[in-house]
Amino acid sequence: MFNCKESIDSLLPFLEGEMSPEDEEHLREHLSGCPPCVEFVNTYRATSGMCRKALVKSMPPEVAGRLRAYLRGKLETK
Amino acid sequence: MTQTSVEDDRELLARAQGGDMSAFEALVGRHEEKVYGLALRMTRSEADAAEITQDTFLSAYQHLGEFRGEAAFGSWVHRIAANNALMRLRRQRVLDIVSDDDLAGPEFTDRGSLADVPESDWSQRADDQLLHEELGRAIREATDALPEGYREVFLLKDVEGLSYEEISEMVGISIPAVKSRLHRARLALREAIDAFYKEV
Repeated sequence: MFNCKESIDSLLPFLEGEMSPEDEEHLREHLSGCPPCVEFVNTYRATSGMCRKALVKSMPPEVAGRLRAYLRGKLETK
Repeated sequence: MTQTSVEDDRELLARAQGGDMSAFEALVGRHEEKVYGLALRMTRSEADAAEITQDTFLSAYQHLGEFRGEAAFGSWVHRIAANNALMRLRRQRVLDIVSDDDLAGPEFTDRGSLADVPESDWSQRADDQLLHEELGRAIREATDALPEGYREVFLLKDVEGLSYEEISEMVGISIPAVKSRLHRARLALREAIDAFYKEV
């Protein structure tokens, strides 16, 4: 059976379904008796989505306008 | 992007490849937000992001004839933008060598048990439509604080959705190294979010 460190070290292959059946069994065995690690897995899994939301950036209209003018200028001379 | 949007892109692309400028402009309009967002996240500079967006679409136009449509147009310009952003970062980069030990992450006892129990299971809050403004700021600061090689892998994979193969090729490291950096970056960002919830 894995300990907490081994479990957390193997989270990426676990969540991507790339673990060997034997290692997956060791991990699942650990998780079944370790609530803090279950919370860790849940929060690790949620991290990417929360970051995506926090990092959304929108394009200012003036930048879009400059982009069109730039492309028109470049492409018309071709 | 939906299947219909991809089909619309194909139609616009075919017209643009035939020399229809308005079709190409329509493609730009459909993808400029995503390209600009990627460039801004990667470079953290509005001026660089605007230039990368221009260069990306100019390059796409110049290579339209070579685009065979095996991939979606959006994925294609996204990869061009990621490459442009990485090249710009490489030119600007101050030597940035860090070991994994420099990154935040969970601490363990000598027996490999978690030394610090997570604050709470805040994963349910990931579904909230709006992130707490201060949490958003904490996440942006934590992302900015990641060493460059980890930050770019995290952004390319978890925010931009590129494949491990694409990132490995662009960044010039093996797929296992990409995965290792991604995992370490996620752990550091998870710690930052956990620390935020401990304080509020």
